[in-house]
Amino acid sequence: MLSLLLWTPLFFGLVGMALPRRAVGWVATAGSLLPLGIAIGLVGDFHLGTPVLQHTVDSSWIPGLGVRYQLGIDGLSVFLVLLTALLWTGSLAFSALRPPEGRERVYFLMLGLGETATLGAFMAQDLLLFVLFFDLMLIPFFFLIGVFGGENRIAATMKMIVYTLVGSLLMLVAAIATAVIASGDIGHLTFSLSELRAHQLSLGSQEWIFCFFAAAFLIKMPSFPVHGWMPDAYRAAPLPVLALLSGVLPKVAAYGFLRVVLPLYPAATVHFQELVMLIAVASILYGSVMAFTQTNVRLIAGYSSIAQLGFITLGIFSLTTVGADGAILQMVNHGLVVAPIFLIIALITERAGTEDITRLGGLATRAPVLAALFLIVTLATLAMPGSANFIGEFDILIGVFQSKVVYAFVAAIGVPLAAYYALRLYQRTMHNRLPEGATSRDISWRDAAVIAPMVAVIVGLALYPGLITKRADTAVQDKLGEVAVGTPEITQVK
Amino acid sequence: MDVAWYLVLSALLFATGAAGVLLRRSPIVILLCLELMLNAGNLALVAFSRSTGNQDGQIFALIVMVVAACEVVVGLGLIVAMFRRRLPLNVDELRNMRG
Amino acid sequence: MTATAYAWLVLMFPLLGSIVIAINFRALPGRSAGWIATAAIGLAFACSIGALIQLLAEPGDSRQLTSTLWTYAQGGGLDIKLGILVDPLSVFMCLVVTGVSTLIHLYSVSYLTSDRGFARYFSYLNFFVFSMLLLILAGNFVLLIVGWAFVGFASYALISFWYRRETATKAGMKAFVINVIGDVGLVLAAFFVFRDLGSFDFPTVFSAANQQFHTNQGVVVAICLLICVGAFAKSAQLPLHTWLPDAMEGPTPVSALIHAATMVTAGVYLIARMHPLFELAPTAADIAAFVGLATLLFAGTVALAVTDLKRIIAYSTCSQIGYMIMGVAIGAYSAGLFHLMTHAFFKALLFMAAGSVIGAMAGNQNIDRMSGFRKAMPFTSVLLLIGSFALAGFPGMSGFFSKDEILTFAANRGGMYWIFAAGGYLGAFLTAFYAFRIGFRVTRGEPCPEARALEEGHIAHGEPMNPATGEPEDTDVGFPGPEHHIAEREVPMRVAMGILGFLAIVGGLIQIPGVDNAIENFLDGTFADSRFASTAPTSGDAWLGLAVGAAISIAGIALAYYCYVARPGTTARLVERFGPVHSFLKNKWYFDEAFDSLIYRPLVGVGRFANNVFERLVVEGIVAGAVGAVRGAGVVVRGAQSGFVRAYALLLVGGFAALALYFLIVSH
Repeated sequence: MLSLLLWTPLFFGLVGMALPRRAVGWVATAGSLLPLGIAIGLVGDFHLGTPVLQHTVDSSWIPGLGVRYQLGIDGLSVFLVLLTALLWTGSLAFSALRPPEGRERVYFLMLGLGETATLGAFMAQDLLLFVLFFDLMLIPFFFLIGVFGGENRIAATMKMIVYTLVGSLLMLVAAIATAVIASGDIGHLTFSLSELRAHQLSLGSQEWIFCFFAAAFLIKMPSFPVHGWMPDAYRAAPLPVLALLSGVLPKVAAYGFLRVVLPLYPAATVHFQELVMLIAVASILYGSVMAFTQTNVRLIAGYSSIAQLGFITLGIFSLTTVGADGAILQMVNHGLVVAPIFLIIALITERAGTEDITRLGGLATRAPVLAALFLIVTLATLAMPGSANFIGEFDILIGVFQSKVVYAFVAAIGVPLAAYYALRLYQRTMHNRLPEGATSRDISWRDAAVIAPMVAVIVGLALYPGLITKRADTAVQDKLGEVAVGTPEITQVK
Repeated sequence: MDVAWYLVLSALLFATGAAGVLLRRSPIVILLCLELMLNAGNLALVAFSRSTGNQDGQIFALIVMVVAACEVVVGLGLIVAMFRRRLPLNVDELRNMRG
Repeated sequence: MTATAYAWLVLMFPLLGSIVIAINFRALPGRSAGWIATAAIGLAFACSIGALIQLLAEPGDSRQLTSTLWTYAQGGGLDIKLGILVDPLSVFMCLVVTGVSTLIHLYSVSYLTSDRGFARYFSYLNFFVFSMLLLILAGNFVLLIVGWAFVGFASYALISFWYRRETATKAGMKAFVINVIGDVGLVLAAFFVFRDLGSFDFPTVFSAANQQFHTNQGVVVAICLLICVGAFAKSAQLPLHTWLPDAMEGPTPVSALIHAATMVTAGVYLIARMHPLFELAPTAADIAAFVGLATLLFAGTVALAVTDLKRIIAYSTCSQIGYMIMGVAIGAYSAGLFHLMTHAFFKALLFMAAGSVIGAMAGNQNIDRMSGFRKAMPFTSVLLLIGSFALAGFPGMSGFFSKDEILTFAANRGGMYWIFAAGGYLGAFLTAFYAFRIGFRVTRGEPCPEARALEEGHIAHGEPMNPATGEPEDTDVGFPGPEHHIAEREVPMRVAMGILGFLAIVGGLIQIPGVDNAIENFLDGTFADSRFASTAPTSGDAWLGLAVGAAISIAGIALAYYCYVARPGTTARLVERFGPVHSFLKNKWYFDEAFDSLIYRPLVGVGRFANNVFERLVVEGIVAGAVGAVRGAGVVVRGAQSGFVRAYALLLVGGFAALALYFLIVSH
């Protein structure tokens, strides 16, 4: 089942190579409905209350190195898999409506490859398999930005690749080192996460390996101060690709902390907890302050992502169940809001011909539906109480509050800042007077058919965020294991 | 006879060949000098083979001869091609590979 | 049906109305959106009465009912339910909110007829009422915060309702951000509560707090101060008040509903709801009371100087909420909520009358240009004066009884609390004066050109423009509609204002000291556990307080009469004489400027610095450094690639020779 889910996108991408150009996009979109359906089925079929992996696939792959083709899902990954499938379908459909001229086949093949790689990273239960999929994600985005991007795409791509490759290589080294060092204890070479977890490394090795993994993940997110690749890549990437680059890829990194780092290197995690929390809080404040001085709409969303990922990291490294639950919820939420934002930005650019908010405005006049969709997404972005994002942030902050009070207070400063920059983005595009050269035109039925379902999911999740936290809970507890900060006993007076 | 004499001869031959490769500019002479170095090697191999009573060295020498023959074919072929295209037969002027 | 079922219906109708109007915004003809919205709120009001009847049927000590729809979020020890709490306090608030809202909806049906955003307006307005009711009925902290933020959003949406006006969008942003600061305060308070008491549910929290905390323990003071941050932001108390005057950019009925009668009083409700915590933290309660006192005096002085009609009323609102906050903070819960109710009546009435006057002035809001509407608009003028009398606390009017009840309570607590009584009476004098600054200047004097035009039978029409900046506008969606409406010509406006006028006169009569105590008796179900339940003043003291209040009120009105009717021009001379004081007041004590230079500018500066210096030097520097290192190494290595075959051969031979030498040396 999981193998089918994993390889379908790539298969349809390859099928597209043999199709006439105009059909490629639609075939890819239709093909992406299959993984989406499977992912929904996985959520429906999910067994509550157990951290055990479900729907596992396990076969030998490279016996000499002890690498296994091991897939599985649990409460950590099931919604991230669904998020990936959903956003990819949205992005594919949006791209199919306005395909890149000339090289459609490569474009959609790369998108398919990207989905396979991302799903693989979320489902892999073998350390080396995870690392391979993690690195494989880079390749399609290299081409998607390098070939189909806007101005300065080559420089932007190079910068992104250099940054993320450094991280990836560090991670590869760390992964191999883990297996090699642990093999002395286990007796043979293995990359299986469960086996490695049972044989912990010494604190000294854990520390440097932790640093390597953390570097890789923080670069991918990106997190302050290693976000240097973000502005250029965000400026250059095509918007449907950017929706994925910002909506899904950072989640793989955050997920990596929970899946790999916390269980495998608990001693180092505790050792570096404050350092990572410090980086996370710095990301929140830095991202927020930057987001409210930027004038490029993409960068406002980009820096806000840095801040949001800061919250997620903070939640994970609060080392409390509630904080990590909130982080999982927030990963899904952030993906759900940031992808429609970039798609809406694409619509805004089509209407106004610019991405500079000082030259935008008034687009709501003849576009009430577009404005309403954008407003809902904006409110979710700023974690309006009543949205699932609020519950995510609330859980995260409660977790931080339980483990380190000071960080919670400092991080809370990020909340009003978020209100300001998110609302500023909305107001400066939709409200005020319409500048010369821009036309206010409502969203077309086809575009609405792509964006409205995402907004519907946001609203639905707002009514019942427990859907995710309930399922994530046991898996999170298991992954936190012994590093969990003692949750205070809940006194039920009633 | 002591194996040392053979080795001395081999070393002299090798040094001559190496000096030729380093000092001469004509590709043909360089090729010849390379042959000289290879054969110096062969001589050492055979000499050791005799002194230890082991046949491996001789077989190795045969392989080297085969490789040397191939090398000459390719090398002379290249030189002929260069001559045909009226390129200068001077290795110092062929610097297209400069970094 | 049970009281809780009624309460759920109270919540459901406005939400349903909002959704129905939002979805069918294109299909609804004419004024139908407005009628649907009004009907939804009317039904909610009816259900509130149903809840009241059901609650009164319960015995007095078990009037606290809870009900849960579903579990909202759980995990990690957290268990947040979608639950409501129905008790006398929440039912009382529901009645006030839905009652006043129904009338304001009715008024709006006429007032916004010609606006192109008619359906959007009513969708927002219904959503606002839903949010407000959610805030009131919430049974736990999380739902309270949700309602709290929803009203903040609804307020934002309605302030920037004319969204192509830059002043309106700026004002909306300011209101929203300040409200979010309040939200954060509440959220942090909720964290403390959860950490120490292990629950978010109000009844659980309150009973646990009494067992776990002792009086003035650090943590409970912190909780109360954080709650105060939320309350002050929402209720426009110092220093978080600056958004309220700017919020007057919204349509006038919005100012009446949200920024006078309901939302801004949420802070009062919050402190009343949290009274078990505040009684455990007297220090925090006293701080809140002092802030209330400071606000009521500050806003009263500013209301003497500003010239925008709606902004005068807005500062008056700040000031009156100062009374309420002070009241609930010193323990006069029912008095504070009584004032909340009467204030809702007369302040909504004042705004409605002001809206009618502004309609007659073709959108102009400058009080200096208004005069002599007495003949042109008899109905509006009478109701404006009724509102002014009630606001001034003229004997017998609603504001008279409610305001004095707070002050008598303060005086009765004695000691330090005398300060509150004295400050309150000083504020009452200011109130009486500025109330009639509005009343007399609008109705008395020589008719202004617009009033004359109206006497001749047609409403003045100006070019559409922004009243604050004078920028020209059109009348399409995003700007006010082309027509202006006055109460004299619109039946719905007249009905709404008439009912409110009646209530503003008689609303105080349901709680007269020594005669009847309807509100206090009813609210006893919530406040029976209060430590101050027994310290209520005797009716003798209360009547003494009323006498003092009446004297002060009449003195203030007399002074206003002297300044504006008997000797017009007195104030101009005063302004000349005390120029610096006047400009200090007129610039609202320079609060906006202070915030701008203390918070906004530094933040923008930090952002710029980060963008220009940090991004460029440090973040780019990492890359540039790495690239430079690689390139430098490349230059060095490149030198070896000379292209000389013989040089390569030399390297090879030399290298092998060196290796051989090394091994020779090592092996010996």
